[in-house]
Amino acid sequence: MSRKLALVFVACTGLYAQPNVLPILKQNCQACHNQRSKTSGLALDTKEDIMTGGNRGPSVKPGLPAESLLIQAVEQSGDLKMPPGSKLKPEQIAELRQWVEQGAKWPEMTTAKPRRGADHWAFQRPKRPTPPEVKNASWVRNPIDNFILARLERENVKPSPETDRYTLLRRVSLDLTGLPPTPQEIQEFLADRSPGAYEKVVDRLLASDHYGERWGRHWLDVARYADSDGYTIDAARPIWKYRDWVINALNRDLPFNQFVIDQIAGDLEPNPTTDQLIATGFHRNTPSNYEGGIDFEQYRVEAVADRVATTGAAFLGLTIGCARCHDHKFDPISQREFYQLFAFLNNTDEISSEAERYDFNRPFLELPTPEETARLEAYRAQRVMLSHELATYVKTLAAKPVGPNDPPRFKDPGLQERVANLRALTKREPKITTTMIMRELPKPRETYIHLGGDFLRRGAPVTSGVPSVLSSKPVTGNRLELAKWLVDPDNPLTARVTVNRMWQFYFGKGIVETENDFGLLGAKPTHPELLDWLATEFMARGWSQKAMHKLIVTSTAYRQSSRHRKDLDEIDPDNHLIAHQSRMRLEAEILRDTALVSSNLLTPVVGGPSVYPPIPEGAMAVTQVKREWPVAKNKDRYRRGLYTFFYRSAPYPGMGLFDAPDATTACTRRVRSNSPLQALTILNDETYIEFGRALAKRIETEAGKTDAERLNYAFLVTLGRKPQPAELERLTRFLVLQRDEFRTDTTSASLLVMKPQVFDSSPVDALEEQAVIDPKEIPELAAWTAVSRVLFNLDDFMTRE
Amino acid sequence: MKTEEELLQFVTRRHFFSRCKVGVGGIALASLMGENTLSAAGMRQPDFPPRIKNIIYLFMAGGPSQFELFDYKPKLQEYNGKAAPESLMKGKRFAFMDTFSKAPPKLLGTRREFKQHGKSGLYFSDLLPHIATCADDIAMISGVNTDNFNHGPAKCFVNTGSTRFGRPSIGAWVTYGVGSESKDLPGFVVLQSGPRGPRGGAALWGSGFLPTGYQGVPFRSGGDPILDLSSPLGVTDNTQKQSLEAIRDLNLSKLAETGDPEISTRINAYEMAYRMQTSGPELIDFGKESRKTLQSYGAEPGKSSFANNCLLARRLVERGVRFVQLYHTDWDHHADLGAPLDNVCREIDRPTAALIKDLKERNLLDQTLVVWGGEFGRTPMGETRDDTTKIGRNHHIDAYTFLMAGGGVKPGQMVGGTDELGFSSVDPIHVHDIQATLLHQLGLDHTKLTFKFQGRNFRLTDVGGKVIDKLLA
Repeated sequence: MSRKLALVFVACTGLYAQPNVLPILKQNCQACHNQRSKTSGLALDTKEDIMTGGNRGPSVKPGLPAESLLIQAVEQSGDLKMPPGSKLKPEQIAELRQWVEQGAKWPEMTTAKPRRGADHWAFQRPKRPTPPEVKNASWVRNPIDNFILARLERENVKPSPETDRYTLLRRVSLDLTGLPPTPQEIQEFLADRSPGAYEKVVDRLLASDHYGERWGRHWLDVARYADSDGYTIDAARPIWKYRDWVINALNRDLPFNQFVIDQIAGDLEPNPTTDQLIATGFHRNTPSNYEGGIDFEQYRVEAVADRVATTGAAFLGLTIGCARCHDHKFDPISQREFYQLFAFLNNTDEISSEAERYDFNRPFLELPTPEETARLEAYRAQRVMLSHELATYVKTLAAKPVGPNDPPRFKDPGLQERVANLRALTKREPKITTTMIMRELPKPRETYIHLGGDFLRRGAPVTSGVPSVLSSKPVTGNRLELAKWLVDPDNPLTARVTVNRMWQFYFGKGIVETENDFGLLGAKPTHPELLDWLATEFMARGWSQKAMHKLIVTSTAYRQSSRHRKDLDEIDPDNHLIAHQSRMRLEAEILRDTALVSSNLLTPVVGGPSVYPPIPEGAMAVTQVKREWPVAKNKDRYRRGLYTFFYRSAPYPGMGLFDAPDATTACTRRVRSNSPLQALTILNDETYIEFGRALAKRIETEAGKTDAERLNYAFLVTLGRKPQPAELERLTRFLVLQRDEFRTDTTSASLLVMKPQVFDSSPVDALEEQAVIDPKEIPELAAWTAVSRVLFNLDDFMTRE
Repeated sequence: MKTEEELLQFVTRRHFFSRCKVGVGGIALASLMGENTLSAAGMRQPDFPPRIKNIIYLFMAGGPSQFELFDYKPKLQEYNGKAAPESLMKGKRFAFMDTFSKAPPKLLGTRREFKQHGKSGLYFSDLLPHIATCADDIAMISGVNTDNFNHGPAKCFVNTGSTRFGRPSIGAWVTYGVGSESKDLPGFVVLQSGPRGPRGGAALWGSGFLPTGYQGVPFRSGGDPILDLSSPLGVTDNTQKQSLEAIRDLNLSKLAETGDPEISTRINAYEMAYRMQTSGPELIDFGKESRKTLQSYGAEPGKSSFANNCLLARRLVERGVRFVQLYHTDWDHHADLGAPLDNVCREIDRPTAALIKDLKERNLLDQTLVVWGGEFGRTPMGETRDDTTKIGRNHHIDAYTFLMAGGGVKPGQMVGGTDELGFSSVDPIHVHDIQATLLHQLGLDHTKLTFKFQGRNFRLTDVGGKVIDKLLA
C-alpha cells in the first residue's frame, strides 16, 4: 500500500500547488486514518475518503479552510486537536490551509483497495455444489447424506446405525411439534411396516398446528418476544397477536423471504393486509423504558440500535451491534455503516419526548373482536350523551345570574355531579385488543453517526444503506428496501444463516457452530459445501421452511442412533462429523408440554392471549411493581409453555431455570444447563405434582390391571418406549415400597392426591371431577403418583434422544 | 452392562478428575453448575491469590442521599437557598429535567447533624448512629460517579457494568470466575427487603450470556428460602429418599446404555438437590443464634426484614456462599428528606453495624468484604414536588458514596472526595473501578475475566475500570 501510494504521489506531485500535502498527511495522519483502520471512521487515502470524511463529517470544504475539520484539527482551534499529543509545524499547517483554500485538488486516480475481509467465505454468494460421490451409496436417502457420508468416509469413520423406531418417533415428534407421541401414534407407527411409514409421520407432524408452535417459539427467541415492557416498570404490553402471526405464518408455510419482508416492513408494502401490519411487531419487541425522569429520546435510540443489532443477528449472523460506538474490530463493518442501517429503522412514529408520555408504546393496531366493538360503541354513545347533558347544563347555569351570596359556579352541585359522572365513565372505557406495530413517520428523521455511540454527540449525517462488503450494488431507501435486500438472492448470508439455525436444532449445533457470528472470527463451517447446498436448495424450493425440515428429518444422517461413541472420544469428541445423533435436554417450554401430554392434561388450543398457569407464591414479588397473576381456573391452566405470560423482569420460575431466554436481545441459541435447581423444580414444584397426580389417574383408567401392565403403559406415555426388564424390576420395587408407605401413612397419601389448593386458593373444580376418591383407593393412587414423579425426573424423560 | 458400583465409581472418578485442576471450590461449583454449563464456561483459576473469600453486598436501591448521611459540606449549608452556579450546571443532564427547568434549582444544605467518629474521624450524620460506631472498620469511598441517572438502567449498570439489560451481574461473574465453596447451597444468593422489589428485577442478578447456573438465586422471605426446596405435601421423607434412589438407579442404567456423560451430571445435580433440601431448614433456623445476636441485629425469627437478611447473610457466608447480595428498597427521596429518610435509615442502620461487628467477632471480616451503596447519589440542589412544604433531592451521578468494610480494605479512611458543594468528585472514582476492585479482592483480574459472546469478549468493567489501590490494605 505504501509503495502504491508513493507511486501515486510521485506521478501526481506536479499537479499540486502544494507538493507537500500528501507527505504531510502520510507522515502525520495516515497511521490512524487509512482505509484499513479508519479511526473515527476517517480515512485520508483518497479524495473520496477526504470528502466523505469520518464520523464528524467531511474533513475538507474546498475553498473554506476555516470551516474544514482537517484545518480546525491541525490548527487545534476547536475541541478536536490533531495529531493527538502533538502539533504540526506552522509551515505544514500553512501548506494544508493553502491547499484547501485553492480547492483541495487531488489527482483523478483512485487508490481504493478491496476492504479487509471482503474475500471472507461468508461474504460470497453461496454456489451450488454437486453432492459428492460416496462409496456406500445405499446409506444415502437424499443429498444431505452424500455430504455427511463423504466426509465420514474421508475420515474413515463409520456412521451410526439407525435408531430404534420408538426413539425415532419420539425424536421427530419433539423436533417438529415439541410434543411427544401418544400411545396410539406409537402403535400406529410400529404397526405400519410400509416403506413410506416414516415419511407419513413426518407429513402428519408438519401438517399439525403444533408445528407452528414449536418452530414459532424458536423464532420468538430470535425476535426477543416477551409480554412485558422490560426496564424499570415492566408492565404488561399487548403483542401476543404477533406471536400468533408467527405461529400461523409457519403453519401455512409462508415462504421465508415473505416472512422476513412482512416482519421488517409489512406496513410499507402496497395495501398491507392486517396480517402484514401485525407482523411488524417483530421489531416492536424491544424493551421500552418510561420510568419517571427519563429522556425518552435516549430509549428510542436504544430501541433502534437494538433493532439494528437484532437484524444483524437474526438474518445476517453478524455482530453488527459491535459497530455502534466504533468501527467493527474484526469484520468489515464501519461505524458509518451501522448508522446507515440505523437510518432504515430510525423513522418509526414512536414516543421521543416527555410531552408524549401518555402515549408510550405507540403505534398500535386496534383489533377489536365483535363483542369488544359492541361494548366500545355502547360506551361511546353513553359518553356523547353525558357530555351533551353536561354542555346543556353548563349553558343553563351560565344563563342564571349569580347573586353575591351564591356559591361560585363550579361548586354548583348539579354541575359537580355531572362532571363526576362523566369522569367515572371515562375511567371505564372498555379495553379492546391491540398489538404494537411499526408505522413510518411522514417525514423521515435525520440520522447522524453517534460519536462513541452517544446519541447526544452527533457526527456526520448519513442516509440509509447496507454494508458494502455484503452487497454488490448500493441499497438505500426505506425499511422495505432493507427487507427486500435481506432476502435478495444476492445477499450472501440470510439463506445460509437460516438453514444453519435449522440444522442446529436437529443436530445440537450448526454447521457453523457460531450460529450468530458468520464473520471473520466466527467458526468455519464443518461442512461448507453442505451449507451452501442447503442454502441454495432453500431458495430453489421457494424459501419453504417445511420443505427444508422434511429434507433434514428424512435424511439417514438425522435418523442415526444418539448412542455415545467411545471410538470417537479422541478423534471427534464434539461430533462435528455427525457420525451419530445427539441427546439434548428439552427446552423449558417443551419439558412442560411433554409432561402435559404424558399426563393427558394438555389443552391443545393454538394462540390467544398469554395465560397464567399456577405459580409459586412470591414468585412475582421480585420487582418494583406488584404484578397481577390471575391464576387460570379453566383449561388455560394446561396450555403449552409458550403461552405462559412472560414478564421480562420476573420470568415464570420454571422458564429461566431451564434456560429460556430473558428476551432482552435476540437469542439465536439456548444454553442447555443441568443444575440442582432444575432437579428441585421437577421434584417438588406443585405443578409437577399436579401433572403426576393426573398421570396416576390416567394409568389407572387406561392401562390393564396388573402392575406390569400399568408400568409398561407408564413408560410408554412418558418415555415413548417399553421398559427394559431391569428398569421394570427397579420401578416395581419402588412401587411396592410406596404402596406400603402410603397404606401405613394414609394422611400423607391423602395430602398427595388432594386437589391442588396449597399454592393457589382457587380449586380447579371445572377441571377435576367432583367425585370423591374412594378412601380405599387413596394409597394406591398416591403410590402411582410417586411412580409418575420418578418418571418425570428421569434423564430420559427430559431428553430428546 | 457395567455393575451399578462400577458406574457410581465412574461418575465419581470422572467428576473428580475433570475438576481437580480448579481445587475444592471448583468441585463444589461443578456439582452445582452442572457439566454442560461448566464445559461451556471453561472454569478458570484465580489470576492471583485472592485476598477474600466472600462478598456481602448491601444494595441500597433508590439512591441514598450522600448529603444527609456521609458527605459533610458546610459550604453547601452556607449557600443554602442560592441558585446552583451556572458553571456547575452547564452541559449537565438530570432526571426529571422538567422539575429543574421550571425553576432554576437551588442549593440545599442538609438539616442533619454531622459528627466525626472513631479514631479515624470519619463523618456520619445522626441518621446512622450505629454504623458510625464502626467508623474505624469502614472505608468511605466518596465522589463515585456512574453512567446513567434513571433507576432501572443505573441499577443495571452498577450490577452488570452496562446500562443495557441482559449482561451478567457481578455475582454471576464472581461465581463464574472463582466458583463457590458451598456444597449444598448456591454460590450467589439474593435477599430482598423493603416495601417492594428493586426496579429491574431478575435482570439485576441474572447471568446474562453466562450459563444460567451462575445467576443469583433469590431467597424468599416466607416459606422455603429457595423455591421448591421442600418436598411437596404428602411426600414423606421415605418417599423422597426412595424416589431419589429410584431416579438415580434408572438414570445409571440409562448412562450404561447410552454412555452420555450428561447423565452423570444429572445424577450429581439430583444429589446436590437433595443435600440442599436437607441443609435448607437448618440454614434459616435462627434457633441456635443467641438472644444477644438476635438483638444486636434487631432480627426476629420468621419476620421478613433487612435485619433478618443481614443475619442470614452471615450464616450464608459461614456456609461458603461466595456472593450474597441484599436489596433494600425505598431510598428514592425526591420529595421529602424528613420522615421517609428517617424510616429507611432506621431499618438498615442497626443491622448493618451488627453485621460488621458480628463478622469481626467471628473472625470472618478479614475474608468477607461488606459493600454498602446504591445506584447513584442525589443532587446538592433541592427538589420540590407536590408538597411545597417539603424538600428532597434529584438523582445525581457525578459524586456519591460507597462504604466498604473488612475484606482487605484499609479501614478508617476516606478515599476520593468531592468539591466543596459536593457536586463533583475531586479524585474521580467510577463504578467500574468499584467493580474492578471487588473482583481484585477475589483474585480476579477484571481485564482477564471475560466471556466471548456474539463474537466479542465481554467483561464486567466493559472497557474501563481501575483497581482502587488506595482503598486496599
